[in-house]
Amino acid sequence: MTVFLQSLLSGILVGGIYALIGIGLTIIFGVMRVINFAHGDLLMMGMYLTWLIFTYLGLDPYASLVLSAPILFLWGALLQKVFINRVLGALPQNQILLTIGLGLIMSNSMMLLFTSDYRILTTSYSSSSINLLGLSISQPLLYSFLVTAGITAALFWFLQTTDTGQAIRATAQDRDAAQLMGINVRRMSVLAFGLGTALAGTAGALLAPTYYIFPQVGGSFTLKAFVVVVLGGMGSIVGATLGGVLIGVTESLGAVYVASGLKELVVYVLFLLILLFRPAGLLGKSKA
Amino acid sequence: MPSLLRRTARGFSLPAFLAYLAVILLVALVPLVTRKPLILHMWIMVFLAIAQGAAWNVIGGYAGQYSVGHAAYFGIGAYTTMMLLELHQIAPWYGIGLAIANAVLLSVVIGSITFRLRGPYFVLASIAMAEIIRLATLHFKDFTRGAEGILLNGIPPLETPWFTVDFVGKRPFFYASLGLAVLVISVNWFVQHTKLGYYFQAIREDQDAAHSLGINLTLHKNLALGISAAFTAWAGGLFALYVRFIDPNIVFGIDVSVQVVLICIIGGIGTILGPVVGSVVLVLLAESLRNPKWLVQTGLASSDSSTIAFIEAHLSNAHVLFYGILVVAVVLFAPDGLLGLLRTGVARLKKQRAAEPRPAA
Amino acid sequence: MTTSTAAILQIKHVSKFFGGLAANSDVSFDVPLGSIMGLIGPNGAGKTTLFNCITGYYPPSKGQVLFKGVAMNGLQPDAVCRLGMARTWQKVRPLAKMTVLDNVMVGGLCRTHSLKVAREVAHEQLRVVRLDHKAGFLAGGLPIGERKKLEVARVLATRPEILLLDEVMGGLNTAESEEIILLILELKKLGLTQVVIEHDMKAIMRLSDRIVVLNSGEKLAEGAPREVAENPDVITAYLGEAVHA
Repeated sequence: MTVFLQSLLSGILVGGIYALIGIGLTIIFGVMRVINFAHGDLLMMGMYLTWLIFTYLGLDPYASLVLSAPILFLWGALLQKVFINRVLGALPQNQILLTIGLGLIMSNSMMLLFTSDYRILTTSYSSSSINLLGLSISQPLLYSFLVTAGITAALFWFLQTTDTGQAIRATAQDRDAAQLMGINVRRMSVLAFGLGTALAGTAGALLAPTYYIFPQVGGSFTLKAFVVVVLGGMGSIVGATLGGVLIGVTESLGAVYVASGLKELVVYVLFLLILLFRPAGLLGKSKA
Repeated sequence: MPSLLRRTARGFSLPAFLAYLAVILLVALVPLVTRKPLILHMWIMVFLAIAQGAAWNVIGGYAGQYSVGHAAYFGIGAYTTMMLLELHQIAPWYGIGLAIANAVLLSVVIGSITFRLRGPYFVLASIAMAEIIRLATLHFKDFTRGAEGILLNGIPPLETPWFTVDFVGKRPFFYASLGLAVLVISVNWFVQHTKLGYYFQAIREDQDAAHSLGINLTLHKNLALGISAAFTAWAGGLFALYVRFIDPNIVFGIDVSVQVVLICIIGGIGTILGPVVGSVVLVLLAESLRNPKWLVQTGLASSDSSTIAFIEAHLSNAHVLFYGILVVAVVLFAPDGLLGLLRTGVARLKKQRAAEPRPAA
Repeated sequence: MTTSTAAILQIKHVSKFFGGLAANSDVSFDVPLGSIMGLIGPNGAGKTTLFNCITGYYPPSKGQVLFKGVAMNGLQPDAVCRLGMARTWQKVRPLAKMTVLDNVMVGGLCRTHSLKVAREVAHEQLRVVRLDHKAGFLAGGLPIGERKKLEVARVLATRPEILLLDEVMGGLNTAESEEIILLILELKKLGLTQVVIEHDMKAIMRLSDRIVVLNSGEKLAEGAPREVAENPDVITAYLGEAVHA
């Protein structure tokens, strides 16, 4: 039983981070209807940025979020303005290819700059764990979860109460209507991509203390992000949150009860099942 | 209002056919002219890329279903051939046949799952399927040797009553891969000029309209995928025999899938020559960065060139970076690929010339 | 009243629900062989939904569709086309990156494997709609009037026995509409049964032998054009829309 609870718990904790990645992706899709295949690579850049700040400025990865999140936001905004904006009206295939290309550029530039060597970011608490009710919780995972919870709450608050937040939601619901009501939808797209990038990069920062950092790490996260988003429903932030936790738990339980080498496979099989039987996801809107 | 993009008449054109034949014959003479291994290697990689690209073109370019998971078929072709040869001593000419059968079966399974989905969901599902197969191959070590991969000890000679082919050196692979490339291109031509081609393209343009015009969507999508999978697997098998070592990441990796799509996008999707152009560009680029010495062997660069040294020292794995840049450039500026650019350019020239005032008769 | 043996298409108590919404509700009527049936109703009345149910785009939730006496429920759109029922789309669907000729050939290939035969059929149909001069042009580049004509040529190439036209005159100017009207009448002379959805009342009055009126998914009225035009319920349903007849 403890094994079950233990893996359930670590699944939830990791799931929180998956949720963060998924929320970023779903915001991008919700506002721009763009399927961002470079999302995992944005996470990778967050990892490297955090590692750089840690190695050269000595800042703790969680503290450095104050620095890295805005940088990542600006990076996303830049990508949107220069590249993504041009394909908003194009065929979905071309959008997909564009983001795939951008992802390739990002991951391979990092490879040229930093080589494929695995980097690790070790903090004083990287391998520590806390004992709670007989269950062992990895300290960095716990911190990440708390940070994620905080960010998600802040995001909800932002989207529900502020003008800009509501404008973003309006654009996601109905782009044309939002435009007619005077919302600058182009600006919303830039904001959305910037926000999505910042969230993905933040997830990367949160993973940095416990994950190997290397240029190709983004790939599996991109696919996982899609699973989260499709499970929760494209465009639904609550859905992405739930989906992230569910995927984290599935992976964790899959590692224990199926086979550790097959835990990702389990997730992908789940993905296919969702696509086939409930493509709108748990809470999703259908694609416009 | 004349359209800038008038298509030329379809049908069999004797001069074009003779031109193709001449090119193929010329190319076939290359191994008789040079023995430099790197040059032959380049050609082989180009032919294999053409075969893969043209195979993908059937489902992606003509039928419009963008599978980014074709590594599944490539890998199945490679693994079936290698496992049969290395682990069970079954000669590769049978092995490849079984590999193709496997791939077609797999395509039916994958098709039944993915064809219910449209647009980006289809793309995602195709990626997921390839990943599932890759992870399974990695995991079931007892069956596939997992991450260790399979190393080929040797290929038995092909003995026929008239001649024997020893698979030593690059020449036999040159002709084998040339033959495959020509075959797949011919299949492309055949598809384009028959009812199948019309139906595939109708599906690409508008599935619902196609459906209402009497086209059985499931049948035709599966046909396109089956044809595509068969030849992709064939290329995979040949690739495995040529490089002699495969592991799940080499043949099932997502970069294999992406590369195949790139070949067609860069060259010009849905055309017969598109995969050829795209393959030449991509392979030249990749090999120039990976093995810049081939440039020395052709005499395009001197052996002590500083550029070559720089490339070798820093850019040997940068070809994927350039792929990315190429894709972005093509999507933004030339969505119909290089061939499309060429066509628009020619059409614009024609229009200009037609608009020029003629001297009075 | 027509006898059912002369009806090529029979709609029997067809209903279509989308979740809680009844897009079609217990609709029944017969389409006599060789006639032109007008199908009218305000926007959202369920006309296109009915077409979709009839042609197999989705199955009706309840009821039956009989074509030449054969039940069509559950048949896929391609089977429906092969049986001889063809439809055009409210929003035109040209195969944009293919030429005008190729578009119509796709229709023609429904009846033959030979590209040569399909090409001849295609040219023939393009001549009927007077679009043959544009055979080599890409369909995506045509203006809306020609796209509509292309779509008609394309379905005609499938050699249908009954043609369902969904607002084929939508977006056309007077001259173009007149061309279509004459075409429809000509096709009737050739023996083709047609069901025409239209908002252009003048056209419907000229073309139809009988009219069915839908409103909010239900059949509101059915009868000869004059009867229907003078039906007070029909006039009320259209209140706010000018009735030209």
